[in-house]
Amino acid sequence: MTTATVSRWDRFRESFFWYSFKRDKVAIVSFVVLLLMVLAAVFAPLLAPTDPYDLAQINIMNSELPPVGLDGADPAFPLGTDAQGRDLLSTILYGTRVSLMIGFGAVLLQAALGILFGLLAGYLGGRVDSILMRIADVQLSFSTLMVAIIVGAVFKASFGNLMFGEIAIYMLIFIIGVAEWPQIARTVRASVLAEKKKEYVDAAKVMGFGTPRIMFRHILPNTLSPIFVIATVQIANAIISEAALSFLGLGMPETQPSLGSLIKSGFDYIQSGSWWITLIPGLVLVVLVLVINLLGDWLRDVMNPRLYKG
Amino acid sequence: MPLLEVKDLDVRFAVRGGDLKALRGISFSLDKGERLGLVGESGAGKSVAAFSILNLIARPGYIAGGQILFEGKDLAAMGERELRKIRGNRIAMIFQDPMMTLNPVLTIGTQMIEAILAHRKISKKAARDIALDRLRKVQIPSPEKRLEQYPHELSGGMRQRVIIAIALLLDPEIIIADEPTTALDVTIQAEIMALLLDLCEQENVALMLITHDLGVVSQVTQRMLVMYSGRIIEQGPTREIINDAQHPYTQGLINALPQMGEPGQRLFQIPGSMPSLKNVPSGCPFHPRCKFATEQCKQAMPGYVRSGNVDVACYEVSNLIEQEKRMQEAES
Repeated sequence: MTTATVSRWDRFRESFFWYSFKRDKVAIVSFVVLLLMVLAAVFAPLLAPTDPYDLAQINIMNSELPPVGLDGADPAFPLGTDAQGRDLLSTILYGTRVSLMIGFGAVLLQAALGILFGLLAGYLGGRVDSILMRIADVQLSFSTLMVAIIVGAVFKASFGNLMFGEIAIYMLIFIIGVAEWPQIARTVRASVLAEKKKEYVDAAKVMGFGTPRIMFRHILPNTLSPIFVIATVQIANAIISEAALSFLGLGMPETQPSLGSLIKSGFDYIQSGSWWITLIPGLVLVVLVLVINLLGDWLRDVMNPRLYKG
Repeated sequence: MPLLEVKDLDVRFAVRGGDLKALRGISFSLDKGERLGLVGESGAGKSVAAFSILNLIARPGYIAGGQILFEGKDLAAMGERELRKIRGNRIAMIFQDPMMTLNPVLTIGTQMIEAILAHRKISKKAARDIALDRLRKVQIPSPEKRLEQYPHELSGGMRQRVIIAIALLLDPEIIIADEPTTALDVTIQAEIMALLLDLCEQENVALMLITHDLGVVSQVTQRMLVMYSGRIIEQGPTREIINDAQHPYTQGLINALPQMGEPGQRLFQIPGSMPSLKNVPSGCPFHPRCKFATEQCKQAMPGYVRSGNVDVACYEVSNLIEQEKRMQEAES
């Protein structure tokens, strides 16, 4: 090293993280696919040929057109249309956007709750630990879907369908976020228990730092690796949960479909030959979840502290 | 008034089946700029003593009695908020293992600047300047570069220098060094010890040095305490104790030094090992290993007697002194 200071970018390029990423083909492919999907979703309004939310652009006469390459296809709708005559490509782009937003949003909420409660439980221990972890146990003993169905049904009944459509996305983030926080809290608590016995924590106490500062500034950064790994997997889980809820009719409404509600809306027509309305969004969902899980697996290998701290 | 005065400190660990007495009636004092050594075998309570001075004994340990007077204020009775103002700021501590005491995910600079800002209301720039100045004081090459580095990029000796620099950040009155050189190799040990000694002399900082290396204690400290099984059994000027140890245990420690052995002979060894805190022997805790032990030693814990400038807790010593007194009286 010739320069006194090394830029962050150089550090990154020399890191084990980047090195193992370059060597792992599965990780590269997964990352590229995920990146493309995220970009497509983010720029959906620019990329999509039509706006599926705009009722004026929909013509019922175009309903159930097959994808290009099949008999009766219209080149204006490369992936065909759904039962209401919406362009399936545009709807999938917008649907991926909704699914990803719910996935990331729910995990952000989970992580916020999970990190806070996990740190408190692990670091303070004693009664705080018992109470928080018992709450987590109770929470985990209900299945996510059951909680979501009950809460969703209550919301739907009390707000009415129209109002519900507007808040559905926030409600789903809230439900999935709250239902799954114990996963992250437990992971954080376990790493905090291991970290708080290390001498640098004693050293921080000896230096006169307060408890919140030691928790968030000193211990939290040392527990980030497992949080990253579990958060990645949880994004995939949240997307699946949302799809399941939508499939049951408790998720996103037909007017702003997510991948799950698209699959559901096509499911009614699968017997009448319009298989593409279900199959194509289904494939997109499978690929999305698969690449996230593959990336999560790779992250878990790379961030294994026994491998990279030694 | 001494800077730090510990009076009758009792520290216990609440465990299943009763309390373990880790420290029993520890009393000593430390003056401004003085260097005090604390020696004893592993498990004698040296580190517990260091931690309890900062009132940092973690559960299940607790301070069961006694006072820790720092400038006349009792740290044992002080609230957490006030204690935090003293920790790191007035009393700093250096730990044994430099690999473990630095936070692995923060740069050296971040950790140093944070330590300053926790106690002083100054700008980040000013804090950075202080950090740089301290790194220069501990003779670290290219200190600017070190600020940007992570602990794993430094060698062990360098890290211990950084830790000493951190201890010096806020100009403390006392540095407690808990075996600061044990984890380093021998050549670096001497360097670090010399550095610590120099800095304490320059800045007039009181040093409490915890170690089991009598050689270091004799070179660095002015007074020393010898601990055994949670008690101080001998304390006084280092030179007097090293030259003419009174307590049989201290004598044993000194005779066990490799320098005391004859070439080709086995090194001297104190028979047995230190009792576990779960079953401390009655009376003087050292009596099962002591060649002078009598019935009296098994009955009750000996009090302190003064021999020269040294305070010793041993019946053998007090009996000898009594005997001498009687002989003198008989003569006169």
